[in-house]
Amino acid sequence: MEDPVIKVKDLKKYYRIHQKEPGLAGSVKSLFSRKYYNVEAVNDISFEIGEGELVGFIGPNGAGKTTTLKVLSGLLYPTSGYVRVLGFEPFKRQPKFQKQFSLVMGQKNQLWWDLPAWESFILNKEIYEVPDNQFETIVHELSEMLEIKDILKVQVRKLSLGQRMKAELVAALLHSPKVLFLDEPTIGLDVVAQKKMRDFVKEYNQQYKATIILTSHYMGDVKELCKRVIVIDKGIILYDGLLEKIVEKFAAHKVIKVDFEKPIDPEKLKNIGEIKENEEMHYLIHVPRKEAPKRAAKLLDNFPVVDLTIEEPPIEDVIRQVFNGGKV
Amino acid sequence: MHKYIKVFNVSWQNEFTYRLNFILWRIRNLLRFLMTYFLWSGIFIGQRQIFGYSQEQIITYVFLVLIVQTFVTSAPSQDNIGGEIANGDLSNYLLKPVSYIKYWFTRDLASKLFNLFFAVFEITLLWLIFRPAVFFPAQVLSIAGFFLSVTAAVFINYFLSLVARFVTFWTPENTWGIAFVVLVLIEILGGGIFPLDVLPKPAFFALQLTPFPYLVYFPIAIFVGKVTGLYLIQVLLQSYVWVFMLYWVMMKIWQVGLKVYGSEGR
Repeated sequence: MEDPVIKVKDLKKYYRIHQKEPGLAGSVKSLFSRKYYNVEAVNDISFEIGEGELVGFIGPNGAGKTTTLKVLSGLLYPTSGYVRVLGFEPFKRQPKFQKQFSLVMGQKNQLWWDLPAWESFILNKEIYEVPDNQFETIVHELSEMLEIKDILKVQVRKLSLGQRMKAELVAALLHSPKVLFLDEPTIGLDVVAQKKMRDFVKEYNQQYKATIILTSHYMGDVKELCKRVIVIDKGIILYDGLLEKIVEKFAAHKVIKVDFEKPIDPEKLKNIGEIKENEEMHYLIHVPRKEAPKRAAKLLDNFPVVDLTIEEPPIEDVIRQVFNGGKV
Repeated sequence: MHKYIKVFNVSWQNEFTYRLNFILWRIRNLLRFLMTYFLWSGIFIGQRQIFGYSQEQIITYVFLVLIVQTFVTSAPSQDNIGGEIANGDLSNYLLKPVSYIKYWFTRDLASKLFNLFFAVFEITLLWLIFRPAVFFPAQVLSIAGFFLSVTAAVFINYFLSLVARFVTFWTPENTWGIAFVVLVLIEILGGGIFPLDVLPKPAFFALQLTPFPYLVYFPIAIFVGKVTGLYLIQVLLQSYVWVFMLYWVMMKIWQVGLKVYGSEGR
């Protein structure tokens, strides 16, 4: 079998943090004695990602997603465990490795604040040793795709957040990385810009056969882009597999949507399942997963049904439940 | 190499966008020059020689401080590195095939040359105004020694301030503490305010065991002919020993620091 592009085994990353008691008195006290404790940002995770895969990392704030990406990028020294990206040990930060990946963070910028984005592009071109003609093609292509052609010569400080994010993305992709880590790339963007960004990521993945890990708070991003997801919380992996299967695994119920001919007494539906929505003649009922066909039959037999469908619960709900630590 | 030339180029472009800052910085340097110039001129009234210096030598010393200090100790890296480590901007560089240490050295160099250009202009202007008698070294060796020791001074200053800034890896909340102490030491013990050999012998000797006098004092003392012959060679050797020692210490701290680096805020 082909070697995976990214291989992580038993990775741990702990931080030592000191605790300050509230107020000025606490500050003074912390001058003399400090209480330290360990934060287990990533606690023993393992996974493998193959070439060309686009994988979503999902988890609540502080789950360990960004920490994992930083370890994969060589920014953080792992407390323990085995990490290889493209066969390289990231923390060694070999130029050969660095020329093949990129990390884009939605909340930080690398562009020179007081100069036009164009200057930062040229600087990156030199740093990554991108040949002239390749540089021109890529800048042309990317800025066309993201529609930022005419703002490249404007001081970065004068750009809007959306324009700046797009310029950041171009700066990060100038060297055509084979591996791309995107941390919240759509944060703070409006709906139109979000959509543009998503389309772009999808196209980049397909056109360059790039391996991509994406983290996002917007399930929309993940749903549209990623077949496979890794769900992570409190530093451990809760789920690693197909996005569509996550529902089967974690959701204990299915949803029956039903329309009736005439108004029904909701009391009578109590023994079918849990009523979640009730709009006169339209009902949404949660039923135990295995019982779904039986309950549906019961509905059809005993009520004046016009239309009935059995559906999986929305992924957002399932994920939320997973993070809350319970079954759906 | 290309990448650092481009860094140099972008740094200059950046310098131009901070016009007001730059002008104020030059004014500060001029004021300091005027202060020491008038102080020493006053001291020399009715005297031919003080502390073994002739008036020409001292005046030349004061003029050269303006140039050497501009070239050796002015460095934007000093204002930025601590902050970049503390707020996680360091990550930007660590991701790329670029050396952070060479990167900032290049930016410093760009700023030094930019400032040097103006310092030379200012000095010429000041000289035309005051028309003081200046000292020019009789020996070619003094001039060669001057350039060699200024080069060493640039590296000593850079590595020393990096060591001070790298402390931020362990205490991200106080980026200024140690760095400020080092800055003050460089200012006072470096020889920018007065030639260090006016100090009592034991104090001057003790100072020579630290890297500070090699920053401003020795380069200028070599130029004005206070350090010659075997002493000159000894001073040059010592300054390069400091360069390599500080480089070694700096690299060690850098490597250990990166392991505790938290890349916060990103």
